[in-house]
Amino acid sequence: MTGRVDPAETLAYVDDCLEPEARRDFEARLTADPELRREVALWESQSRAIRAAFGAPPRGALDLGGAINENGARRSGEAARSADDAARRSGAARKPRETTCPVAKPRPSGPGPTARRLVGALALTASFVCVGLPSLGPPPPSALLAAGVSAVRALADLPVEFAAGDPAALARRLGPRLALAPPPAPGLQLVGARLAAGSQTTAMLYLYDNARGERVALLVEPLDEIAATPPRRREIDGLSVAAWTGAGYGFAAAAADDADLAALIAAAGVDNDSLTDAGAQRR
Amino acid sequence: MSSVREWSDDAGALRRFGLALVRDDRFVFDDVAASALIEKLFRQASLTLVECPGGDRRAARVRAFAQFVRLYRRYARRLALDEDGGWIETPPSGRNCGSAAVGVRSLPLELREALLLVVLAGFTHREAAAALDLPLAVVVDRLVRARTRLAAHMGAARDAAAAWPQTAHLRIVK
Repeated sequence: MTGRVDPAETLAYVDDCLEPEARRDFEARLTADPELRREVALWESQSRAIRAAFGAPPRGALDLGGAINENGARRSGEAARSADDAARRSGAARKPRETTCPVAKPRPSGPGPTARRLVGALALTASFVCVGLPSLGPPPPSALLAAGVSAVRALADLPVEFAAGDPAALARRLGPRLALAPPPAPGLQLVGARLAAGSQTTAMLYLYDNARGERVALLVEPLDEIAATPPRRREIDGLSVAAWTGAGYGFAAAAADDADLAALIAAAGVDNDSLTDAGAQRR
Repeated sequence: MSSVREWSDDAGALRRFGLALVRDDRFVFDDVAASALIEKLFRQASLTLVECPGGDRRAARVRAFAQFVRLYRRYARRLALDEDGGWIETPPSGRNCGSAAVGVRSLPLELREALLLVVLAGFTHREAAAALDLPLAVVVDRLVRARTRLAAHMGAARDAAAAWPQTAHLRIVK
């Protein structure tokens, strides 16, 4: 506390209790006295802290609502003035809205809405019967066949990303969506797996070695809500590929030897007798 | 319309003042009781304005606050008598505990009521003296003492907060 200024006067200044004349005098002394300034700042910060601690609005707060309303009124006044100026310049006065009597719309001639809907439904049903259901792409086995062939050509000879002697451990590492334990096929040795591009999404390419050291591959792609389809086989450039779907997954097996392919399909739980030749149908 | 808004602002100010002044939850049981008390005090104050149309609305506001202060003083005296002087105001639970709030609540009642009337309710020193029924000089003296003690408390709290990271590693963790 300074010795020159009465604390009561400092307090009165901080609490806004001084008359305007006394306030000006005090502020003149305030500019020349840093110790007094420090004390005033301390007490003002106390006041702010107390008001903030108990939820009181700050003293001398801006009336934002009023400011916004004033701005809005000013803007609307300016807009009205500019509209009046534009109307005056164009020489067109604003016309009052005309009151119109409701007029009944004329009814369209021809069949009514119910009859039109009925005709449309009949035409759609006839087109499904004659042409078949629309397709957004090749049927799943065909797409899986193409994806399997592409994956095997691109990745089968590369080192595996997930080496696994234990199929269950491999399935655990691949996560819940791809957590399918690769089937142990007789005469085939599981080498590992690689991530590959499926027909619609990411797939896992399980790689096996046969007795001659040739790669045999099984592509497993998670698919949502897809109907089970029987396996279809195709021969492409000396590579036997079979694809099928089931249990929410798409499968594509590829091998150079038909015996290896049959062993892999059998290990996957698919009956080889249901295998049909897709190549004969597509080519 | 503006009169209604002013009374509403005054009621809010009295509610904040009451929450800051009262350290015993038993004084006002809950929000419903607090609202009823505040409404009663301002209705009494507005009735004096109706009886004297030329009366000052600000004076009516001072009367409402003064009535609240008198009620709480009476309550504190009665509890002190009932408990043979052993009644000590304890900080109520569930309130905010910032350093300013804790500092204000740690002040004695006579300092706290003067400080809160001026800082929180926006009373001038003369109005605070009228509400507390005390001479102006006594109120100013209490205000200076309250601010000095509060500055010491807030400074200590600030020092403790600043020193925490250096002393935290000295804590014994089993």
